Amino acid sequence: MSRPLPARAARLGLYVLLAALSAGFLFPFYWLAVSALKSQGEIFAMPPAWLPIPPRWENFADIYRETNIVRAFLNSVIIAAGHVTLALLLCSLGGFAFAKYPGAPGARKLFAFVLGTMMIPGAVTLIPTFIVLTKLHMVNTYWALIVPGAAHAFGIFWMRQYVASHVPDDLLQAARIDGCSEFGIYWHVVLPIARPALAALGIMLLIGTWNNLMMAFLLLRTPEMQTLPLLMYLLQGETRTPFGMLMAGGLLTVVPMVIAFLLFQRQFIAGITAGAVKA
Amino acid sequence: MLLGKSAWLAAGRETRRARCHMRCARRQSGWAGRRARAWAAGAVLLAALAAGGAAGCGETASTEGPAEALAADAVRDPQAVAGHIDVWGWNIAAKSLGKLVPDFNRRHPNVCVNVSMTGANLQSRFLLSLSAGVGAPDVSQLQMTDAPKYIATGRLTDLTAVAAKYEKMFSPSLWRNCIYKGRVYAIPWDMGPCAVYYKRDLFERYGVDPEGIETWDDFIAAGRTILEKSGGRTKMLPLAATGLGPMFEILLQQNGGQVFDEEGRIAVNSPQSAQVLATLRRLVESGICANVTMWSHEFLAGLKSETIATYPMAVWFGGTIKDTVQEYAGQKARWGVFRLPALQGGGLRTSNLGGSVLVIPEQCRQKAAAWAFIEYALCTREGQLAQYRNYDLFPAFLPALEDPFFDEPDPFYDGQKASRLFATDLTKIPALNRTEDWVEATRYLEQSLTRWAAGGMAEDGFFAHLEQKLRRRIGRGVSPAPAAEARADAY
Amino acid sequence: MPTERAEGTGLARGRGPACGGAGGPRRLLRACVRRHWHFYLFISPFFILFAVFGLYPLLFSLYLGFVKWDGLTEQTWVGLGNFAAMLEDDILAASLWNTLVIGLLYAPLMLALAFLFALALNQPWLRLRGLFRSAFFLPCVTPMVVIAIVFGLLYSPERGLLNYVLAGAGRALPFLGLKPVPWITSEEWSKAAVAVLVTWRWTGYNMVLMLAGLQGIPHEYYEAAKVDGAGPLARVRHITVPLMRPTFLFCGLLSLLGTVYMFDEVFVLTRGGPGISSTNFGLYLFNISFSDFRFGYASSVAYTVALGVFAAAMLVTRRSRLGGGAGEGSS
Repeated sequence: MSRPLPARAARLGLYVLLAALSAGFLFPFYWLAVSALKSQGEIFAMPPAWLPIPPRWENFADIYRETNIVRAFLNSVIIAAGHVTLALLLCSLGGFAFAKYPGAPGARKLFAFVLGTMMIPGAVTLIPTFIVLTKLHMVNTYWALIVPGAAHAFGIFWMRQYVASHVPDDLLQAARIDGCSEFGIYWHVVLPIARPALAALGIMLLIGTWNNLMMAFLLLRTPEMQTLPLLMYLLQGETRTPFGMLMAGGLLTVVPMVIAFLLFQRQFIAGITAGAVKA
Repeated sequence: MLLGKSAWLAAGRETRRARCHMRCARRQSGWAGRRARAWAAGAVLLAALAAGGAAGCGETASTEGPAEALAADAVRDPQAVAGHIDVWGWNIAAKSLGKLVPDFNRRHPNVCVNVSMTGANLQSRFLLSLSAGVGAPDVSQLQMTDAPKYIATGRLTDLTAVAAKYEKMFSPSLWRNCIYKGRVYAIPWDMGPCAVYYKRDLFERYGVDPEGIETWDDFIAAGRTILEKSGGRTKMLPLAATGLGPMFEILLQQNGGQVFDEEGRIAVNSPQSAQVLATLRRLVESGICANVTMWSHEFLAGLKSETIATYPMAVWFGGTIKDTVQEYAGQKARWGVFRLPALQGGGLRTSNLGGSVLVIPEQCRQKAAAWAFIEYALCTREGQLAQYRNYDLFPAFLPALEDPFFDEPDPFYDGQKASRLFATDLTKIPALNRTEDWVEATRYLEQSLTRWAAGGMAEDGFFAHLEQKLRRRIGRGVSPAPAAEARADAY
Repeated sequence: MPTERAEGTGLARGRGPACGGAGGPRRLLRACVRRHWHFYLFISPFFILFAVFGLYPLLFSLYLGFVKWDGLTEQTWVGLGNFAAMLEDDILAASLWNTLVIGLLYAPLMLALAFLFALALNQPWLRLRGLFRSAFFLPCVTPMVVIAIVFGLLYSPERGLLNYVLAGAGRALPFLGLKPVPWITSEEWSKAAVAVLVTWRWTGYNMVLMLAGLQGIPHEYYEAAKVDGAGPLARVRHITVPLMRPTFLFCGLLSLLGTVYMFDEVFVLTRGGPGISSTNFGLYLFNISFSDFRFGYASSVAYTVALGVFAAAMLVTRRSRLGGGAGEGSS
């Protein structure tokens, strides 16, 4: 470590700066966590209470008692699990097909078409989508949030790239010779190899669907169908909001995503980076 | 400090209790059917996916069988009416309905009522549920101003058979908004007769006599006095340049002006409107207005500081004042009320702002029970009076106004008979002809007013321009003769 | 979004079941299609779902652009009436203006921050990189609803932490002229409040994209520049920045789209207010769609703005391709 002093000072400075900025970026999470343990009065206390002393655990009891948060949590889980599973299935199937059946007539054009659909902004199709879902009697069911986004153009692209570069054709050929069906190949050969890509795509889909507020607001019409974000949104009254229990519920909404992110951050970052590299 | 939390929790507990009630009676057979169909549709879709064929995903054809209509004798036998109903309302209103439930249940023991405080975006969510055909409550509160729009959708229950008999018992200006093509679709709940809330201590300190304020010009003069004597610290009233719409509506009713005539043609370009605009200009130009948006933080903060001396507002605002002032204990300002200033000497000294109605969506499957609740809450003296006592919801039901309660002095207003003051001349308030595009129209009006306020308040051509805009946007014709004569005496 | 490169990667030509050259006789083609029925089966879910939830809505929306409809009562054909109404829709104009202002308030700041963070995190000697990266990145994976509510508390004019800090700083360092700000309760500041929230949320995301861009720059360039005696700043200026142009462009386009169609942030934090001062296009579109239920008008607005945004994006891309191509040389 025989670096010149100024360089070392510069490095130290950078560490301090990054640490301060990180703290700043994490601060809202801290504030969420401490507010979840404060009374309404403490939340608005001046000067602010930096720590919730004593912690008011009743906020969690309140939100459990006053709202159907357990149901909302389950709804969120069911929708997220359903959507992610279905989307992963369809995307990997499509990606596999586009990667490994290049000889099929029209494959190239169809693939270009799939990519082209990514350019359609959701804002344009929102109203008709609502109407279609109404006509299919899917409004206020889990299906409304599971099915529509499941065929994900980016997901197909992402899976195709991965399968094309990671699954050797020889392997498929060998499986075929062993008498494996095409679907069997997909299921027994391709999926296991594509696991990392599935993880990356899955975590991206999970975060998108877990956090979704607009579609939940539009499509989930009764209290027993509400997801966590929707419940949180609706808890804000027109005038008075019970912030203590709102923050407690907010914490329960945020924590699963923080955990998911920390567990899968490598895959997740690989996933979003793929979008950029493509450009 | 609890900042109203206890109240919120209390109300929540009430709903909670009602919810327990309901667990026993899980109803909504239609809902189960719908869900089955959704599963079917989902399964079909998935099957289609799996098979890779048939692009058509079986649209299950039949819509819900129409829920039965309301018969005139739907609630003749109170014991026989049974069911569980969900009621939507916003904060105070919901609390008020919730508090009625025990008394209601003495009359109708077999109806379970669950009142929910629906929080954010009630209107949007209600319309979404109407158009999706699922998720609407059995009874819902609507803003009076929005009611025509919802009624025109045809998704609300026709109440004519059971409600027509109550027509004469409601203020005509309100009843009119509940009628569409001769049928009754909503029942007026509360109304918003207007007066001026003022802080007695400030008026005394600066030597202003509230009883001397009879016209808006008197009001402006008093405001100037207060502004000067307080060294510019105390403004007379909150009035944001971007929120002139409500004030315009208040003033317009005072001189019988209209936005639409009785046939729904545009009638905003009239002498009455011009008078209103001129008054608004004098108000804004006088410098006595605090430029704060209604319900903003500064607006509410003014209640407990000395930045704002008066709030010309509707009667329902009293609840907010009491709430806010009590919350910040120790600063209890001494409040009083005086009648709304008139546009000119001898003019109408009241007006209406806000108010709401209750409706039953067509998709409701408990119509008799829903109607029983509405009838008790809105069409009985005791129902309406209880709500006024508890939450300052001013009865639209005229027989309730005859109650001696209205002549009781209100300690909060230093013993003033505030209720009687608000109840005076109610039937003289002219009805505004609200069309189903009223909300859209008033939005354009407010936009134009905002521009007008920002652009130096030139009055030339203001209403001609607005008329043009309304004509183009909502496709209505222009009234042949401007609604010239005040119709204050029409009733 | 941009699709060109995808073609370039080419479809893997393996030893899978393949057909003879395209353009053969029709019978052959049919046989070939039949032989590849798995392929069509496997991609069909996408196309079925797209037909129901993409193509049909797209066409239906186009049709709706020419009618007046609230989704409940009857539709009436108004021809180009919706498009004419757009021209004098002050709220639409205001929302587009707000979008622009919010975008200009946050995008340059956010992109610059993201670039600096990426540069810092790209230092080979840096430790705790994962920790810093997570800290900056975490905001964009968490539910906006909750975060916007927390920001609402922080922004509270009299009882919010931010103003408490500002007031304290103003007293301690009077020369800075800091004072409390009515963040979300005033029309002047609401856009800034939204911009701060958006910056907080998306800086990490852009940082990760830029980090990927930085890692794509071959190390030899820097080594060569070092040999030539270029200092760290010069290296950033003459190597990193030019080579990062495509990434900057991509991030810029994402920010453009993000600002135009942003929803959760404003829907929860300010509900577009006070007044309409923080209503961006996304929220405006939502409001005319699902508060006012003007389905016809909303569709015409959605189409028009989408085409406008698309054209703008194309223009920017084209421009920078041409400009960039000349300066960069081949890499």
